[in-house]
Amino acid sequence: MKVSVLKQDGLTRELEVTVPAATILKNVEAQLVIYGQKAKIPGFRPGKIPMPILKKNYGRMILGEVLDKTVQDSMANALREQDIRPAMQPKIALKDGESFDEGKDLVYTMTVEVLPTFEVMDLSKVDIEKPVAKVEDKVVQETLDRVAKSNRNFVKVESDRAAKLGDVVVVDFNGQTKEGVSLPGMSGKDMNVELGSGQLIPGFEDQLVGQKVGGHAHVDVTFPADYGVNELAGKPAIFHVDIKEIREAAETQIDNALAEKLGFENIDTLKDAVVKNIAEDYAQLSRLRLKRGLLDVLDSHHSFELPKGMVDMEYDSIVKQMEQEKKQAGEEITQADKDDLKPIAERRVRLGLVLAEIGRANKIEVQQEELYKAIYAEARKFPGQEQQVLEFYSKNPQVIESFRAPIYEDKVIDFILTKATVTEKEVSIDDLTAEEGEESLPTAEKPKKKASAKKKAE
Amino acid sequence: MAKAKDTKPVVTEKMYTVLTSPVVTEKSMMGSQNGQVTFRVPVEATKPEIKKAVEALFEVKVTAVNTVLTKGKTKRFKGVLGKRVDVKKAIVTLEEGQTIDVGASA
Repeated sequence: MKVSVLKQDGLTRELEVTVPAATILKNVEAQLVIYGQKAKIPGFRPGKIPMPILKKNYGRMILGEVLDKTVQDSMANALREQDIRPAMQPKIALKDGESFDEGKDLVYTMTVEVLPTFEVMDLSKVDIEKPVAKVEDKVVQETLDRVAKSNRNFVKVESDRAAKLGDVVVVDFNGQTKEGVSLPGMSGKDMNVELGSGQLIPGFEDQLVGQKVGGHAHVDVTFPADYGVNELAGKPAIFHVDIKEIREAAETQIDNALAEKLGFENIDTLKDAVVKNIAEDYAQLSRLRLKRGLLDVLDSHHSFELPKGMVDMEYDSIVKQMEQEKKQAGEEITQADKDDLKPIAERRVRLGLVLAEIGRANKIEVQQEELYKAIYAEARKFPGQEQQVLEFYSKNPQVIESFRAPIYEDKVIDFILTKATVTEKEVSIDDLTAEEGEESLPTAEKPKKKASAKKKAE
Repeated sequence: MAKAKDTKPVVTEKMYTVLTSPVVTEKSMMGSQNGQVTFRVPVEATKPEIKKAVEALFEVKVTAVNTVLTKGKTKRFKGVLGKRVDVKKAIVTLEEGQTIDVGASA
């Protein structure tokens, strides 16, 4: 194998690689022997086929395979020989086009972009603030109220009073449209209707307000035009409704009884659980913020020439993503939007490279167990279907690989954080969430997090 | 006689029918080390015919022709007797150093 450098320009290199015909011939024959062990040709037992016959029958096919492999191998060798770390898959152009004749040397040129070499900044100089929010009693109380409300009981109203909004009435009903059509589902028995909840056709619940137990009401409604059943959509209908019972919501106390109902020992453990939950949410938010701050620092401290191919690829992918988002919103992507994306693409690539470099220099690797952990965590998100989820992943190993990048990124970030100086700063929860809102905007800042992950996945 | 040997043999139409096909099997390949080539030939073909055909069509010298007539098996299907066709093979020995590229040409 012979390698010569044709061009060297910035980050791009152009190499010419020559593989002698003898090497290829040797490889082809070695492959043929292996293939011949299994091949079946009439007149020969498997493994007893003479070379000339094998060559005649399978030569072309094997040659293709061998060429492919030779190109791959020699490419890797050439890169190693020239001490090039490619940024992307090199582009290969065979000299004789696609046709290759046996007995000739294999000559091809490859164009490759090298990874830029750069100095990683002194990580111990990184100084960032970590916003931390305290769990306030007010928030805890709010959460508890919400829990109580969604668990309230309804008790039967003994006194003879009219139904009002917020009550639950138990009704038998029977309805038909004004044209006399009656479908199953338009009548029912002992149905609980919460007045004012808006679960039924508009107008239905309102007309039950003021009715008493034992009363009989004619409810006159029109099905909305976008009703699920086509035959009924937009049609007026009459329902005969018998009111059997009125129940009203009992005020739920936040007490031991509520806690027990929810499976906690007493009110204090319930409270603890709520606090813990909220604290976890906050912790996640602050980590996100911290990470973003860290990435900002890294971004501003590194500047080097970026491989154009990588930037272009990243750029294309975000432009495509944005186009789709715009399309869904019914808008067109403008040139100005596209120009906005350019720096983002560059930033993503730069951060991806920096993180990868730090990871490489410090030998950070993702262990198999960590992957499994992530998968189990993923499976737990689908309660009841864990088995199917796990099965899905075991059948699709390439999906599992997609977990690798974010884990790797997290580990690198963790590593940097151990080196860097992190000062905790207390902020209110509003501050913490407020800026998080910005982050989720599609255009501006969000992509970073995903960026480096994607980079390494490639 | 000497005259006849130098002239190129004339290719006739019949010669093409004398050599049906090459036989490419493990067994036939063993002969190739001794300069032997095997052909399927019609049952009625004779050794001299085969010799002339090979010499004319492949432009080689033949030193010997051996033939094998493999009789077809009798087979019985629902009590009715039947017979498979007979097959004739010709193992042609070429003069030393000469080869015919049959079946194994790339």
